[in-house]
Amino acid sequence: MTQGLGTRHAPSWRLIQAHFGLGVAGLIAFAAALAVCAPSLQGFFFQPVLLGLVHLCVLGWLMPIAIGALHQLVPVVFQVPVRSERLAWAAFALYVVGAPGLIAGFFTLDTSEPAGLLLPVSATLTALALLLYAANLLATLGGAGFARNGRSPQGGALAKSARRTLTGVHVHAALCWLSIAVMLGALMAWNLRAPFLPLFHVSVLRAHAHAAALGFFGLLIMGVAYRLLEMFLLSYGAPERAGWLGFFAVNAAVLLLGASFFGAGDILLRAGVASAAVGVAAFAVQVRAIFIRRTKRRIDVSWQHTATSIAYFALALAAGGTLALVPVGEPWWDRLHVAYALLAIPGFIGTIVVAQLYKILPFLVWLHRFSQFVGLKKVPAASELLPEAPKRVQYFAMHIGLAALVAGVLADCAPLRTGGAVLFAGSALLFARNLGVIYARQP
Amino acid sequence: MIGESEVMAALRNVYDPETCLSVVDLGLIYSVAVKPDRTVEVSMTLTTPACPAGGPMLEGVDRAVRALPEVADVAVELTFEPRWTPERISPEGRKELGWETA
Repeated sequence: MTQGLGTRHAPSWRLIQAHFGLGVAGLIAFAAALAVCAPSLQGFFFQPVLLGLVHLCVLGWLMPIAIGALHQLVPVVFQVPVRSERLAWAAFALYVVGAPGLIAGFFTLDTSEPAGLLLPVSATLTALALLLYAANLLATLGGAGFARNGRSPQGGALAKSARRTLTGVHVHAALCWLSIAVMLGALMAWNLRAPFLPLFHVSVLRAHAHAAALGFFGLLIMGVAYRLLEMFLLSYGAPERAGWLGFFAVNAAVLLLGASFFGAGDILLRAGVASAAVGVAAFAVQVRAIFIRRTKRRIDVSWQHTATSIAYFALALAAGGTLALVPVGEPWWDRLHVAYALLAIPGFIGTIVVAQLYKILPFLVWLHRFSQFVGLKKVPAASELLPEAPKRVQYFAMHIGLAALVAGVLADCAPLRTGGAVLFAGSALLFARNLGVIYARQP
Repeated sequence: MIGESEVMAALRNVYDPETCLSVVDLGLIYSVAVKPDRTVEVSMTLTTPACPAGGPMLEGVDRAVRALPEVADVAVELTFEPRWTPERISPEGRKELGWETA
């Protein structure tokens, strides 16, 4: 009866829970560290506190949730089982050992012996974990190969065609950029201990950051958003031209920016910024095309987060473009760098992660706890597992907090930075509480 | 003997977890047939082949029909021909989704 259904390929619920649980713990740790360190959010970005915060945000909060969501989404959307769930668990084990050490290594940035080994060894473990995740997911996307051998002809045919969809190409490219970003990261960690790269360290850092933020997270968010928004808004028949344009533009932007960071010249830098602008605009146009064709007209908090994240994406582009193209001079140059990171990472990436988790977690709780009663008795819908009011409070706290934080950075106002960070920390606790309420629901 | 209207009434208790609409109001049910041997055949679709709630909804349809008295067996067929479109949503469903006020 369920032949051809993606849900039969979903991985174990424990695998997803482990990643989401780690991500929520990482968010609370990041929010607490941000509130404590807010007065220090100033000066040149290559310093222990800023590097530690960025990696705590990305590796503590965003990455585990993105990886967990990918393990749930890829098998369902592309109708192939995860190639190796055991490998996913092995990667998770490596990750929980490596990532905390890497984050601690950045906060301390101790180069003495033997403490100086913490950063490169942890970076290597983290990179290995993320490469294993990427290889496993890329092999999963290539699952049509073994399906053609006759084990799952129907699923195989669907999976093969799905890989060439808008979402499929985005996920493929995102995983490739992730592999490049983590290899650059591991190289830099060893280079900090004993320089061997024939390149300026900060240039490699810029390439690493843009491969991770724009190449991996940007493309992943774009591709997954197209699919999830269609599913959750029940949108039908949106043309995909803007989505494809955005895909090529963002890939070109990461390549051009990377080449310019390695010294290929200002023309490539300008072309990269222009290409990123086209990508952001195309993403917004594609989301709008899906939105205006939605069958579900009532808009919930998750959609508000999604729309807000696109605004952060545009603001981050404006900040990054200004840094690349306008000689702002000190001290604005440093402040704008920090604002750029805040807008791009907790702003754009973090907001859409929150948006999608408000959709994915209720659905998974419904699937694993309530769905067996469908048809026998009235069960709550996924959206009814938590009222909208606490989600709305969390939405305003998060975005007022982030806005105050960015304003405090730009105005070099420590009380505003601290106030914004404390409000953001409050929103993180409320978000964790909201997810806890959803998770605790029983039939 | 049980009729198709009773089966459709039972299917109104099988809800999509995201839209909160029944499979009937969503227009997912293509046909219902009650055979002389009291086997109920349901042909249905999903909004998309990769619908994450597809499995639970199919199983819910099976359970809801099987729970009816006089039903000997249930056969639920999943089809994507023709593909589902929003035009299949009932007027009540459209109102619930905020499409129309009438």
